[in-house]
Amino acid sequence: MNQQQILDSLAGLALFSDLDRPRLQAVAHTMSEESFPSGQRILRQGFSGSGFFVILEGEVVVRVDGGDVAVLGKGDFFGEISLLLGEPPIADVVAVGPVRALHLAGPELRDFLLDYPQVMYRMLQAVGRRLDRANRRS
Amino acid sequence: MPLTSPEKRALLESVPLFRDCHSEVLDRLAEMTAEIAFDADAPIVQQGQVGNGLYIVVRGGASIVAGSDELARLGPGDFFGELSVIDQQPRTATAYAVGDTVCLALASWDLVSVLEQDPQLAMNLLKVLAGRLRAADAQLRH
Repeated sequence: MNQQQILDSLAGLALFSDLDRPRLQAVAHTMSEESFPSGQRILRQGFSGSGFFVILEGEVVVRVDGGDVAVLGKGDFFGEISLLLGEPPIADVVAVGPVRALHLAGPELRDFLLDYPQVMYRMLQAVGRRLDRANRRS
Repeated sequence: MPLTSPEKRALLESVPLFRDCHSEVLDRLAEMTAEIAFDADAPIVQQGQVGNGLYIVVRGGASIVAGSDELARLGPGDFFGELSVIDQQPRTATAYAVGDTVCLALASWDLVSVLEQDPQLAMNLLKVLAGRLRAADAQLRH
């Protein structure tokens, strides 16, 4: 994927939808594009140090103790909760088919969000909605 | 006697949610928050209602109840009500005053405005929500 294609896919994602073109370009430079073959574990339950991922293409399954709890697709992101809390992930995240994602190294997430407050606000809303759903289930 | 703005500011400064926030943001918060008193056992917010703001406990406490389950019991310095502001969904729980209770209330639009003004506040809130989400996920699995 060239820079222009990455930029176009970024612009279509809710997480980045409040950013203008120059800010999107800066995000595309800051995050690295990574590809994962089907079956690869991108995050490992209990192992820290993997980072923050935003899915550009493909699907992943979130697996806790061997059981599937969620499927994530284009525009969804993962890894942020562990990084924000400074704790290892409580789930495996495994590619289902080939996956392309943007990656940010763990230690960079905090400054990244402070640099892009609109992205942080979108993340806050997404985490809020997930918490809302979790509360309604319990 | 109602709290003065400097008194409110001092209280807000001691709340972990506002740690490391800009000084001007704390000034604005002291101006924007309203002090509200609740009798013991009175509902502060009610499940199913549209959220109108965030509440910070100053004195007394709050019992957070969903259906017949008490989800949490909060005391001075704790806050609640932020979720329905952020995701614009109806309240997921009712909060009852534990004993005579005083809260500082921050209206939804004011919370959104300070979140946009101070990324550090958004970061603090994001961390709190991340912690609550993880606790909720852990509870669901056990």
